[in-house]
Amino acid sequence: MASLTEAAPAPAGADRPRRSFRSGALTALLLAPASLWYLLLLVAPLGIIVLFSFGERGKNGGYAGGFTLDNYAGALERNGPFVTSLLMAFGGTILCLLLALPLAYFIATRGGSKKSLLIVLLVVPFWTSFLIRTYAWLTILGPEGIAGFIGDATGNPSFRILGTPFAILLGVVYGYLPLMIFPIYVTMERMDRTLMEASKDLGAGRWATFRQITLPITLPGLITGSILVFIPLMGEYVVPAILGYSRVFLIGNQLVLQFLEARDWPQGAAKAVVLILIMLVSIIFYIWFSNRGRKVREVSVL
Amino acid sequence: MADQDLDQMLRRMAQTKVSRRGFLWASGLSASAAVLAACGPGSSSSASPAATTAPSVSAGTGGSASASPSAAAAVEVEKDLFMYNWGDYVDPENIEAFKQQFGVETFTYDTYASNEEMMAKFQGGAKGQWDLVAPTAEFVPAMVEQGFIQKIDWSKIPNAKYIEAPFKGLWWDPKDEYQLPKDWGTTGISVRTKVVKEEVKTWKQFFEVAPKYSGRIVIVDSPGDVFVAPLKALGYSLNSVDPTELGKARELLMGLAPHVLALDSDQYNTKIETEEAVLGLTWTGGILELRDKPETADVQYYIPEDGTLFWLDTWAIPAEPPHPEAAHAFLNFIQEPEVQAKETMTNQYATCNSEAKKFIDPAMLNDPAIFVPDDVLAKLEGAQDVSTDPLRLQIWEEFKSNIG
Repeated sequence: MASLTEAAPAPAGADRPRRSFRSGALTALLLAPASLWYLLLLVAPLGIIVLFSFGERGKNGGYAGGFTLDNYAGALERNGPFVTSLLMAFGGTILCLLLALPLAYFIATRGGSKKSLLIVLLVVPFWTSFLIRTYAWLTILGPEGIAGFIGDATGNPSFRILGTPFAILLGVVYGYLPLMIFPIYVTMERMDRTLMEASKDLGAGRWATFRQITLPITLPGLITGSILVFIPLMGEYVVPAILGYSRVFLIGNQLVLQFLEARDWPQGAAKAVVLILIMLVSIIFYIWFSNRGRKVREVSVL
Repeated sequence: MADQDLDQMLRRMAQTKVSRRGFLWASGLSASAAVLAACGPGSSSSASPAATTAPSVSAGTGGSASASPSAAAAVEVEKDLFMYNWGDYVDPENIEAFKQQFGVETFTYDTYASNEEMMAKFQGGAKGQWDLVAPTAEFVPAMVEQGFIQKIDWSKIPNAKYIEAPFKGLWWDPKDEYQLPKDWGTTGISVRTKVVKEEVKTWKQFFEVAPKYSGRIVIVDSPGDVFVAPLKALGYSLNSVDPTELGKARELLMGLAPHVLALDSDQYNTKIETEEAVLGLTWTGGILELRDKPETADVQYYIPEDGTLFWLDTWAIPAEPPHPEAAHAFLNFIQEPEVQAKETMTNQYATCNSEAKKFIDPAMLNDPAIFVPDDVLAKLEGAQDVSTDPLRLQIWEEFKSNIG
C-alpha cells in the first residue's frame, strides 16, 4: 500500500535505464488488453464503416467496391433527420438536466440517513431491460391508459399521446435520467459543505450560493452527465420507434431504413460517418465552452 | 486533487475491516441485482418457446395433430429446430404437437417483420443459423442467386403431393426445387365501418377519404405492399419501375403521408381493434377474427376493386442448416392435411393444400376475404422483386420520413 504514495518519478541513478525499460514493458503489458479491445472493437469497425461509405451498392444490396462521393452528397442533401435528431437530443438533455439537478442536490444535501435507500431506488429500475420499460409506457400512455382516460374526460375519443413528440421526449427522459443523476450526485456529494456555510456567513442568499458556489463546483458532473445523455440520444431509435410510432424521423430510423430495408450499406455508412462527425464537433465545442476560464480540469470519478 | 481523494479512499478501504453484517448486506444486494438483471428479456428464442408452450398441452397428444405420422417419422430427427419466420405465423399448438411427435426439445422461433429485414440479415452473414425461413415468393430467386437457401429433398416430404397445381412451376421457382408453398393472401383495405361512413372499396377512394381520418390510418411497413395502393389507384401495374408512373404514385403517397398514424406490420390489428386506427392498408391476419367479436363486429376487409396484390408465402431451407432432418420433418408435418387445416384456421390465410380443405370449417372456405373466389383472383396481380429499384427506394424513404 505504501507504494501508492510513490507517485514521484523514478530517482536519478545508475539503474535508471534498466528501470525505465522494465516499467515501460510493464506499462505496455498492462495497456495491451484495453488497446486490443479498442483496436478490434472500435478502430477496426470504424475503419470498415468509413471504407464502406465511399463504396457503391451491390446489385442485391450490400457493399460492392468502388470509390464515390455520391453517398456523402446524398447524406448532406437529405439532412432533415440530422437536424431533427440534434433538436431532440438537445431538448432531451436539457430536460434531463433540469430534472436531475434538483433531485441530485436533494439527495446529496438533504438525504441524510436515507441517502443510500434513495440511491438504491434510483438504480434498481435501471437494471431492468430498457426495452421492457419502454413497452410498459406503451400500455400506460395507450388508449387503455392515460390517453383513454383523458380522452373520455375531455370527450375527445381520438385523443392520442403515443406517436407524438411528447411521448418520445417522455420515454427518452425516463430512460436516460439515471445517467444524468449519478455524475451530478457524485460531484455534489464530494463537495466541501463548509464552502456553502462560508458563503452563507458572508451574506449570500440561498440562490446566490447555489449559483456561485455549488454550480461551478459540480460543473464537471454536469458535463459528464450531459455527454452521457447527449451522445446516445443522438442515435436513439428504440423509443421513437415504439412510443413515437416512427412518426418523427430521426437518424436512427434513417440508418435502419438504409441497412435493413434499402440494404444500401454505402449510403448508411456515409450517414453514420456524418453522424459521428457531428457528435464529435458538438462534444468538443461543448467541453471547450464549459471549461473556458477554468484553470484546473477536474475529472469526475464515475 | 482527484488523485489525492482516490489515494485516501484506497487507504481507507485497505484499513477498514468488513463487518459480518456489512458483508451479508452487500452480497444480498448483489444477489438481488443479479436476479433482477437475469429477469430481463432473453433473446426472442428463449421468450417465444415459453409463449408457444402456453396453450393447452392436451391438444398436443389428443388433438387433431395425432393423425398417423407419415414414414418420415422413422428418420433420425435432431433434437432442435431453429425457425426464422414472420411473427405469429405458426399455430403454437402445432409447434407443440411437432415437438412431441418427433421428440424435438428446443424449438426456436426468431421473427422478422419484413422480407427486406430478412434479406438484410442473410446478407449480413447468417448461414448456419436457421433451419427454416418463410420468404414471400418473389424473394426466392434473389435468395437462390446469392446462395442463401438450398434445394429441398422432396423424398422426405411426401405430403408435398397435396399442393395444388396453380402453385407449382411458377416463375420464381420453375422446377419447384427451393420452396414449399405456405399460404397466400391479399393486401387490402381494413375499415372500422362504424366510424368510417364513406365507402372505401377502391384504392382511389382510400386516398380520397384519408385526410378526413388524419392520424388514424395504419399501414403495413412493407414497400412492396404500400406501392400497390397508389399504382393501382392510377391504373398501373404494381410492379412498375417506370419513372413517370412512379412519379405520379409518389404524389399520392406524399399526400397520404401526413395522415398516417404508423407503419406497423406486427400490431396493425391491435390498432384497428382499439380504434386507434380506423382505416388501414393491411393483410388479413388478425383482422378477420375481429369480425366475430361483438365489440369489433363492424370491422370489414375489402379486396379493392381497382386491383391489388396477391402474395404467396413459402417455406424454404436456408443453406447449411444446423438440423436438416428436423427441417424436412417439419415441412412434411406442416403439410399433413389436419395440421395444415389447423394452421389455416388459426392464421386465417388461405392454404395451398387441397386435402387440408376437407378439414377446414366451411364458413371459412366460403369467406371471400380468405379463399378469394376465382373470378376475383383473376383480376389480382402477383409481385415481382422490384425491391432494389433505386427510384422506389428513394420514394419509400421520402414517404417514411414524412409520415405524421
